[in-house]
Amino acid sequence: MKEIIELINSIIVITAFYIQGQAYFKPQIYAQAVQSGLISVLSFYLAFTTGVLDYVFLGIAVIVIRATLVTFFLLKGLKKVHGYRENTRGVASELIIDLAFFLTALVIIYYFVISRYFLGVKDYYSLVFSFMLFFQGLFLILSRKSTISQILGYIEEENSLVLFGIFLIPIPFLVEASIFLDVLGLVLVSSVLTRVKGEHKVIEELRG
Amino acid sequence: MEDGQLLLTLLILIPSLANITSFNIKALKNSTMISSTISLLLSILLLIEKGSLLPIVGLFYVTSFTVFFILMINSIYLLSSVYSLEYIEDKDVNGLLNSKTYYVLLNFFVSSMLFTVSVNNFGFMWIGVELTTITSALLITTEYSEVSLEATWRYIIIVSAGVTIALFSIILIYYQYHTLTVSTLLSLHQPSKLIELAVGLALIGFGTKVGVFPMYTWLPDAHSEAPSPVSALFSGVLLPSVLYVLYRVYQLDPLANLYLAFSVLSILTASVILTYQWNIKRLFAYSTIENMNLALIGLTIGQPAGALILLLSHAFGKASAFYSSGVLVKVLKEKRIDEFKGVNRLKLASSSLLLASLAVTGTPPFGTFVGEFLILRTLLERGLILPLIVLLIAIPLEFISINYHVNKVIFSGGEKGAVREPPIMSSISLISSIISLVIGVFYLLTVM
Repeated sequence: MKEIIELINSIIVITAFYIQGQAYFKPQIYAQAVQSGLISVLSFYLAFTTGVLDYVFLGIAVIVIRATLVTFFLLKGLKKVHGYRENTRGVASELIIDLAFFLTALVIIYYFVISRYFLGVKDYYSLVFSFMLFFQGLFLILSRKSTISQILGYIEEENSLVLFGIFLIPIPFLVEASIFLDVLGLVLVSSVLTRVKGEHKVIEELRG
Repeated sequence: MEDGQLLLTLLILIPSLANITSFNIKALKNSTMISSTISLLLSILLLIEKGSLLPIVGLFYVTSFTVFFILMINSIYLLSSVYSLEYIEDKDVNGLLNSKTYYVLLNFFVSSMLFTVSVNNFGFMWIGVELTTITSALLITTEYSEVSLEATWRYIIIVSAGVTIALFSIILIYYQYHTLTVSTLLSLHQPSKLIELAVGLALIGFGTKVGVFPMYTWLPDAHSEAPSPVSALFSGVLLPSVLYVLYRVYQLDPLANLYLAFSVLSILTASVILTYQWNIKRLFAYSTIENMNLALIGLTIGQPAGALILLLSHAFGKASAFYSSGVLVKVLKEKRIDEFKGVNRLKLASSSLLLASLAVTGTPPFGTFVGEFLILRTLLERGLILPLIVLLIAIPLEFISINYHVNKVIFSGGEKGAVREPPIMSSISLISSIISLVIGVFYLLTVM
């Protein structure tokens, strides 16, 4: 059964790589939906194996808010141009930099944090996956110029937190649900901005 | 529900309830004025009755320390609402916001700040911090331009990404204690390695929004591009609200050296950047970084009174700085320090700008001076010589930079002739700077 969890965790990380290597917005958004869906699957699986009801609520919240509503608002915020893509070159090289970046970060995090602080946690190595996702999200924000990609980076970071929470301890459902609604609010505001400002570059007035 | 809980529920709800009249802009403006006045009166009542009402523990956690934050938020709320009456003209607002949405978001923004500082749960505090981002982000775009949109985006993405790290910290706290209730956790005092990690992560996470090095890059952008009443709320009360949350987490396991190192670095870098500022509002934004980190040092080294006086006085002083620079930007249509001409024709605005710059740079007898003095004295008493030396270099550097630039603006010379000074905006600006002075004088008179 442990293998199933590891398999799903690995696919979640692969979706993050897919998002990083993708220049077209629609596939990126759908990959985010798949990533969130897989996290909810993990949550349901843990509910089934542990019998903790909180995991069921968490799984429902992830699938309704993150996989469905956030995807809906992001697609709505996207300009309805066929094949709308990011004006960027070198997506593949960004992917390579991403690999180097996240592997380095991962080794450091694993050595200094996980192996030191979480040894008492059951299946503590599963926490590594959430850190993987977190750094993927951070790198996506740093490496891209478009609003959509940067929002997706932020959602990936949030997904990493859910994953972290799932393997460590589910926080009270009321707080969890509020966090989800909060993220939805932020995505709503961001999708409003996406309509008027699709890309971000250095502006002289904002220097110094 | 007991009196204190009821009072706090009202305090949080009143600004949001003002939005009921959002169908009509005139009614909305009136209800905002009424709600901000009632909110301030209620917070004064809370301050007067604190002996019988405090501490409030339950759904909310409010001590006499928290009351000053509530008072601060509601004071700047009232000043900014009145200032907005003249500043936000319907014809000026276009693009993403209209003036109705401006007032609606302003009211929700204030409610979210009050919620953040009062709630008795670290998880909900985090949500409150994120809510302040959601409610305030679009306010930056009020003066719709390419630059303001970019500033808004930087604010959203940098702050949200940063605060996500704070959520790691919250999860760790829950993992360790199986509760997030602030009052319970503060009474536990059971430090551990995990809580140490959580407190460290909170510095990066919440510190992003407080203006801690190196994540403060969003701050000058958002503060300079937001309309002046919003900049005043950002600088005067939003940052202190998040600082309050950071302090509550810090109390779980004080990592004094780590917090001190980052705060000192923030002040040092901000004071260097201040020397070559060209935009009047960015100048004050960097000064906010300096003041917030000084307050953080005060809280870190066990000088909460100094930090509180500094924050309170800074709130009014910095609000005045943004209000008066708002008058200048609106009337003279200029932001560049070197390009200002004829500022001294605006008598009230230039006077309040001068007072405000003295206030935010900690000139005696302003409250900020008292706060800074108490904090520096505590550093000396604790034998923290290295940070003290760095601060004794950075603070004068900041003092000279800001006052030099502001004097350059005020005494810029230029063409003579009458300029119509906006009466409400200029008066609010002057009142705000005088309050900052009164706080310092009052403290000195009562203590000495």
